[in-house]
Amino acid sequence: MSSSAAIEIRDLRVDYGNFVAVSDVTLDVPAGEIIGLVGPNGAGKTSTFRVLATLQEPTYGEVRLAGIDIFERPQEARSILGYMPDLAPVPSDLKAWEFLDQYAAAHGVGDASRRRARIEECLAEVSLEEKREAFCRTLSRGQTQRLVLAKTLLHSPKVMILDEPASGMDPLSRRSLRLALRRLADQGAAIFVSSHILSELAEMCSSLCVMNRGRLLASGSVEEVRRILGRAERTLVISVLERANEAAAWLQAQAGVSRVEALASRITLQYEGSHDGQAALLAGLVAGGFRVTAFEEKKSTFEDILIDVAEGNVNESKPSA
Amino acid sequence: MNPSESVPPPWKIWENPIFRRYCRSRLRPKHLFLWLGITLIVGGFMFFLLRTGGNVRGGLSMADAERAAVIPLLILQALILFGLGTGQVATGMTAEADEGTLDYQRLTPLSPLTKVLGYLFGLPVREWLMTLSLLPFVMWGIVRGDIPLKAWGPLFIVFFSSAVLYHLTGMVAGTVVKNRRWAFLVSIGVVFSLYTVVPQVSRFGLVCFKYLTIQPVFFDAMPLLVPAAAKGALKASQAFEPEVLFFGIRFPEALFTICTQAALILTFVTMLLRRWRNAESHLLGKFWALGLFAWVHLLLLGNALPMIETGQLFPTREFRRRVRDSVLVAPEWKPTLAEALGMVGLFGLVTLLLLAILTTIITASEDGQVRGLRRARKLKLPRVPLAADAASSVWFAAAMAVLGAASWWIFTRALLTSSWFPEQTIPTYTPLTFGLVLLTAAIGYQALLEGWNGKWPFIGAMLASILPVLVGVILGTGSDAMLKPAIWLAGVSPAAAPFFAIGTLFPDFMRQREFSVVPQVFWTWQAVLAVVAVFLSVKLAARHRQRRAAAQL
Repeated sequence: MSSSAAIEIRDLRVDYGNFVAVSDVTLDVPAGEIIGLVGPNGAGKTSTFRVLATLQEPTYGEVRLAGIDIFERPQEARSILGYMPDLAPVPSDLKAWEFLDQYAAAHGVGDASRRRARIEECLAEVSLEEKREAFCRTLSRGQTQRLVLAKTLLHSPKVMILDEPASGMDPLSRRSLRLALRRLADQGAAIFVSSHILSELAEMCSSLCVMNRGRLLASGSVEEVRRILGRAERTLVISVLERANEAAAWLQAQAGVSRVEALASRITLQYEGSHDGQAALLAGLVAGGFRVTAFEEKKSTFEDILIDVAEGNVNESKPSA
Repeated sequence: MNPSESVPPPWKIWENPIFRRYCRSRLRPKHLFLWLGITLIVGGFMFFLLRTGGNVRGGLSMADAERAAVIPLLILQALILFGLGTGQVATGMTAEADEGTLDYQRLTPLSPLTKVLGYLFGLPVREWLMTLSLLPFVMWGIVRGDIPLKAWGPLFIVFFSSAVLYHLTGMVAGTVVKNRRWAFLVSIGVVFSLYTVVPQVSRFGLVCFKYLTIQPVFFDAMPLLVPAAAKGALKASQAFEPEVLFFGIRFPEALFTICTQAALILTFVTMLLRRWRNAESHLLGKFWALGLFAWVHLLLLGNALPMIETGQLFPTREFRRRVRDSVLVAPEWKPTLAEALGMVGLFGLVTLLLLAILTTIITASEDGQVRGLRRARKLKLPRVPLAADAASSVWFAAAMAVLGAASWWIFTRALLTSSWFPEQTIPTYTPLTFGLVLLTAAIGYQALLEGWNGKWPFIGAMLASILPVLVGVILGTGSDAMLKPAIWLAGVSPAAAPFFAIGTLFPDFMRQREFSVVPQVFWTWQAVLAVVAVFLSVKLAARHRQRRAAAQL
């Protein structure tokens, strides 16, 4: 196993009866990185997270957090791990600070005064200072999420597993969340996060993993993932001053070009080829006397990728990165 | 410093975060004062009424009057701590699992034992305080009533160990049962049966079960707790046995009670620790279940055997001794053979029940088995390790059946070759018959559970054991003509097999002509049950092959 990775997963498999929830997943998450895990419902994200969080025993596989084997030394692993489940619950009969104090003590944060100070820091981190004395049952969904995030931050974990952390949060809270996670990553924590709000993941994550039907289809930067999943084809949007239909016909005849559509002065097409080829297209248009005002590559978004994954439009036999 | 190094150790209960969490939530002044107020009003009313009333209206001396309220107050404390406390633990555990906050506790680096202790003393913390609030009244009665330490000391210790045992029962119920209401009902039901059903069973030869309750120590101390005027009546009706004979060794009763309870406490703690380590694991490991089975039989035999020759084991002796003061029965007493054989049958039935409970606990689900096979394949093991949860429980069920048959045989032999029954002989094939009864039931039930997972095999087996007996009893009591069909019907139940076995081995027991059919019924149904057990085992073997194939995927 690589020694620099904060999360090391090898051949992880989780079964529920005959259903394979996670199938032989191997993955490394380096320290200081925020990795997003995407996939449609039932892809195996939550099962993977629950195993990483030591809440579930897999069928087989090895998992190390900061070099600690979580099955052999679970208590040690838990001391460096922060896990936030999807729809994180809170106890209704405790006040916010009491809830945090319980877990600060359970993680050995320090004596009462040290715990108090740390609780204030974490409440400030999630902008929830004014709710310190409020009973957990009186908090809104977003405030509850923030409180659980504060609990997750209490012991400054080296590894954070966050399952849909932003659900129920307003835009301001989401921004606070992003900033808080970025700060933690900058301090060396490895953060593994799943979200259905994919644009949010794009803003937050340094790289991405895509899962479907229990298999890890791809991992790496957005570009790498797109390449691995067969999304080399990209959309080009070209604007010409006149003769748009003529230009469209010329483009249609070029190698690697498909699905050309012209609407007024705007031409949209799919291109599968190298960047040199793409430059040659532009040069060809100009050489052909077409007055090009814009030549733009429109990248496929995370949503496009996820929809393709969910609809089975990607080549799942490709090995993961 | 590694944060996990500064987490509180299990023994520092006052620093336990879970304990402190419940101190905060369950001891908020508003609710605490309300409950303490109610407790003090009820306790104070009992104390002053019995103390003053006993002295002024009852003509008791002041020292006697001081004692009058002690037992009622102890009962009130027991109701609060054993009843409310156990229910609180069960529902509290289920509530945490239901809300999802139990997972947070799993994620903390506290040791599993710290977590168990935190819940054990944290969830019922209010009930502990309510119980303690009555202590001044009780201590007043003890000190002013001149009750000696040898009476209340052991009583308080066993009171504490019983509370821990029942609260652990609630925790296990709350961990296993998913629904809060059911968890409460199950835990209260278990505690209730520990106080009502189990002590009754102990009157029929299964003596050790009474030591799971506070009753032996309580009855022992009772003459010293009540006013002097009541002592005479108590001495005549209570069995004062301050010592327990265990295979001829004498133990103080309180110590023996604590040791018996400690074994069950240890078993419950083991169950909880296993669940804290892995939420999907069996409550008990296979070897632990086998050890527990052997331990219970050791206790049963150790308590019962020394009481045979003295006659204390026989229920009619106890009954006659109790009513002797009313001169209803002549003092001469001798146990009947029917009584002894009934005890032998009950011993077999309890063995069968224990076998069924432990087999249910250690039998793997299909999912668990397939996962275990896949894990073994991945680790390049030739097979799933024998003691793993995913392994088949068949060998352990069979081992328990053999152990149970041996214990049953030892009990039967000691009872029927005692000086009470000089004429009685025991057929040489008795141990084989006992083995057949238990092995047939164990193998058949194990194969059913392991082959066809889920609650339906369990419910089916329970119904097949209970319904024929119930219908048979109704038919048999309805008319003499229906007695034979009733016996045939009841005989199909594996639960009735121990009694039918006794009727077959000792036909003197069945003098009535209609009962002469019992041996024929017994052997016929045993043959059928044996065929069913073999059939289920063959089917199970086929299912094992399918599971091995599924594990290759």
